[in-house]
Amino acid sequence: MNVDMIFKIAAIGIIVAILNQLLVRSGREEQALLTTIAGLVVALMMIISQISDLFTTVKSTFGL
Amino acid sequence: MEIFGLCVIGILTAVMALLLRRQSPQTAMLLSIGAGTLIILSVVKNLVLTTQSISTLLQESGISADYIVILFKVLGICFLTEFTCDTVTEAGMLSLATNISFAGKVTVLITALPLFRDLLTSITTMVQPS
Repeated sequence: MNVDMIFKIAAIGIIVAILNQLLVRSGREEQALLTTIAGLVVALMMIISQISDLFTTVKSTFGL
Repeated sequence: MEIFGLCVIGILTAVMALLLRRQSPQTAMLLSIGAGTLIILSVVKNLVLTTQSISTLLQESGISADYIVILFKVLGICFLTEFTCDTVTEAGMLSLATNISFAGKVTVLITALPLFRDLLTSITTMVQPS
C-alpha cells in the first residue's frame, strides 16, 4: 500500500498553510494565493494517478 | 491482517484532515480523497478473485452468463457512482452529488434493460393462453 502519499499530501498542506500565513502577515496576498494554488496543483497531481488507478481497477474487475 | 492497516489509515487521515481543515480546506479534501482511493483500491484488488468464483458459482446454478455479466456491470457502476457521490458531497456540493447519483441511476437502468425485457417476455409467454 502506498501510505506515503497521504503523509506527503499532509506535509504539503502544512507547509502551504504556514507559507500562506507568513506571506499574508507580511502583506503579500497575491504571492500567498499563488503559493496555495501551487500546493493544490502538486497535491492534485499526486491524487490523479491514484484515482486513475482505482477507476482502471474497477473497470477491469467488473467488466465495464 | 490488512483490515487493521486500513482502519489505522482511516483514523490517521481523519486526524490530519481535521488539523488542516482550518488553514487549507482544499488540501484536507484532497487528503480524504487520497485515503479513500487507497482504501478502496486495496480492497478492490482482492475482489478480483472473489468475483471470478462468484460468477463460477452462479453459472453452476444454471443462470445464463449474460445475466451475470450485467449483474457485475451494475455493481461496478454503483460502486463508482457511490464513491464519486460521497466525495462530491464532502466537498459541499450537494446538487452536483445528486446529479451524479441520477446519472448513475439512469446508467444502471440502461444496463439492466435487457433483463427487464427478458422477464417481461417470459411473463407474457406464461400468461398468454396457447
